[in-house]
Amino acid sequence: MTDLYRKDEEIKKEQFQELLSDLTRPLNHTSLTFKIWTGFLLLLAAGAGFMYFRQVQQGLGTTNMRDIASWGLYVSNFVFLIAVSLVGSLITAILKLSNVRWATPLTRISEIIAVAALISALLIIVVDMGRPDRLWHIAVFGRLQSPIVWDIITVNTYLVLSLLLLYLPLIPDLARLGSFMSHKPAWQRKMYKILSLGWQGTGDQLKLLEKSVAVLMVIIIPVAFSIHTVTSWLFASTLRPGWDSTIFGPYFVAGAFMVGAAAVIVVMYLIRREYSYKQYLTDHHFDMIGKLLVLTSLVYLYFNLNEYMVPGYKMKSGESAHILGLFKGEFAIMFWLVQTVGLILPIILLVFKPFRKPRPLLIISLIIVVGAFLKRYLIVTPTLLHPFLPVQNYPESFAHYHPTFSELVITSGSFAIMALVVTVFIRFFPIIPICETAHEKGIDQETINNQ
Amino acid sequence: MATLKNIIPILMLFFPVATYSQKDVWTVPPEKAAKVNPLEIKPKNLTVGKNIFSRNCVACHGAKADGQGLIQSASFLTDTFQKQTDGAIFHKMVTGRNKMPPFGSVLKDDEVWSVINYLRVLVNPSVLPPPKDIRIELAASEETHSLTAFLTTADSVRVPLGEVDVHYYIKRDFGLMRFGEISNYTSEKGKVTVSFPDGIIGDDQGNVTVLARIENDFLYKNNESAVVLRWGSLLVTEDAKFNERTLWGSRSKSPVWLLILANGILAGVWGVILYILYNLFRIKKAGKIFIK
Repeated sequence: MTDLYRKDEEIKKEQFQELLSDLTRPLNHTSLTFKIWTGFLLLLAAGAGFMYFRQVQQGLGTTNMRDIASWGLYVSNFVFLIAVSLVGSLITAILKLSNVRWATPLTRISEIIAVAALISALLIIVVDMGRPDRLWHIAVFGRLQSPIVWDIITVNTYLVLSLLLLYLPLIPDLARLGSFMSHKPAWQRKMYKILSLGWQGTGDQLKLLEKSVAVLMVIIIPVAFSIHTVTSWLFASTLRPGWDSTIFGPYFVAGAFMVGAAAVIVVMYLIRREYSYKQYLTDHHFDMIGKLLVLTSLVYLYFNLNEYMVPGYKMKSGESAHILGLFKGEFAIMFWLVQTVGLILPIILLVFKPFRKPRPLLIISLIIVVGAFLKRYLIVTPTLLHPFLPVQNYPESFAHYHPTFSELVITSGSFAIMALVVTVFIRFFPIIPICETAHEKGIDQETINNQ
Repeated sequence: MATLKNIIPILMLFFPVATYSQKDVWTVPPEKAAKVNPLEIKPKNLTVGKNIFSRNCVACHGAKADGQGLIQSASFLTDTFQKQTDGAIFHKMVTGRNKMPPFGSVLKDDEVWSVINYLRVLVNPSVLPPPKDIRIELAASEETHSLTAFLTTADSVRVPLGEVDVHYYIKRDFGLMRFGEISNYTSEKGKVTVSFPDGIIGDDQGNVTVLARIENDFLYKNNESAVVLRWGSLLVTEDAKFNERTLWGSRSKSPVWLLILANGILAGVWGVILYILYNLFRIKKAGKIFIK
């Protein structure tokens, strides 16, 4: 009897050892691909840094934003990044609270994407400012009546909550790392030790942690909704054609869940390939998140129908120039590409199981991400090109907006910084939760503690 | 052949001016260019020209007529411009081209000629005598609601001055508002009368400051005289509205419901964050006890 019990315990112990060495592999092993990738991202970030330095020196004249189109690629990018960050709450909070088991290995991926996207969004909105040295004015002179002030408050609050939701489930893993990573430099071991808060896995600690995570998961959902709703209100609270809409809040949130799920799929695929994590990020995971992507896309399609069909049917005098510009004018090609290839086609394809295999799903997700970025551009810019007040005698170039080289470099740099945050995180922390995976494999707390 | 001989020098003359902003040449038909200016260069029509210039031309061609206005335009101080005949300049002003509007529909022929005279004097001011001092007195008539300016020489003899243009203004918060005619010439007795317009808002007691000015004149130096009249209607400021708590109000005038709602949400969410941070502290503490 005791022998049988012992054997079972030995097996569990071995299982956990294997899990631990598997999931810490990214921390020990840097391939050539990884180095080239990091170098490439650093290069992009440096290019953006140089262009931004030039922009600060010479002013926003280095962009093509002028009197009429005063928001361009930067603000589109900000809206896009905020949208991506919402996935943290979708997968970590909403799915976890609904007891969806398959989401466990995706929680940390989605949470770090959220944190990285938020950091990048906060950077790009400072880049959009003509006088970034006056940023502190918002704290000293900001009016609570202005949606911009709400946006700054909610985005920063969401960043704090996302960091906490990333950090709390990481604590037990960090405690394991402290003992397992003895070959690492002293500063790295010290970092793990400090961050693990002396975690011993006692009943008290477990209880406190579970309770805190549960509270966090609940509170992060309304905050996540609020950040993208407030971002949409930056547009919807003005009386301009294309923005003057009552459904902008849910329309943005629905779009955010769609692009966020697609972004998680892309990162999932890359991690699975680079570290051969086929047994942790299985075809089943891709299949399930593919289904989630169809669901979120369908909701977004429904909102799109409302957003364009209703004003398109009425064709109010103020709105018609804007809507016709999208349907058959200057922006028609981009608009219909985004709606058909970026939204309807993925829905049709993803309904069929073969397209939810990892590789086809990756390609579809990439298309969705690109489409979603262009969609934000279509929301921000065409409206600005139709000013409400009659304007005359302005240069012809003011009536159109095409981003400059400098804007393109800085925007790609902001994506590079986002990817860099994710990359550095993967290098120093287990991207797939160790202890949670162990629990799901039936390894008890005692085995984990004693390892 | 004779016409061709006429055209070629004119073409050559206009070429540098035209290439300044456009690549093509602004040709003037020779018979138009040969038109003679009927107006003599006299102080009175120079004043008319200067007034029209400062109203219609300064925006683009600049106050100094050097082409440095709001947009890049032709300079009137260059030799290439000044060497044109009066007739050629007249034709260009009247017909216009590209960004230069056709002024033929706005100005009378005499007015166009007076502007041309003014432009001629601009590069050669020595043809005019130096401007003299002038005395101006402004009187108001209560029963007719009109204002009379009385102009005399500045010396003790006080000879009335006729044929001088007087400009009337009402002082507003951010500048002067012109009233009366574009030109108000004094009579032989040195007087000119204009009526005060209706519906002018004064300060909170109805006070309005009225100015009579001699300006842009070629014979006399600038001078002005002012009177304060109680002819305006009372200024009503709605301070009460500005002191209300509204969405468009200043930082300290946020609506109460907004303050409660926003700060309530903030306090709630950040309260939870603080609670979690406190829990982290407790986790750390629990770990220490276990080691003992």
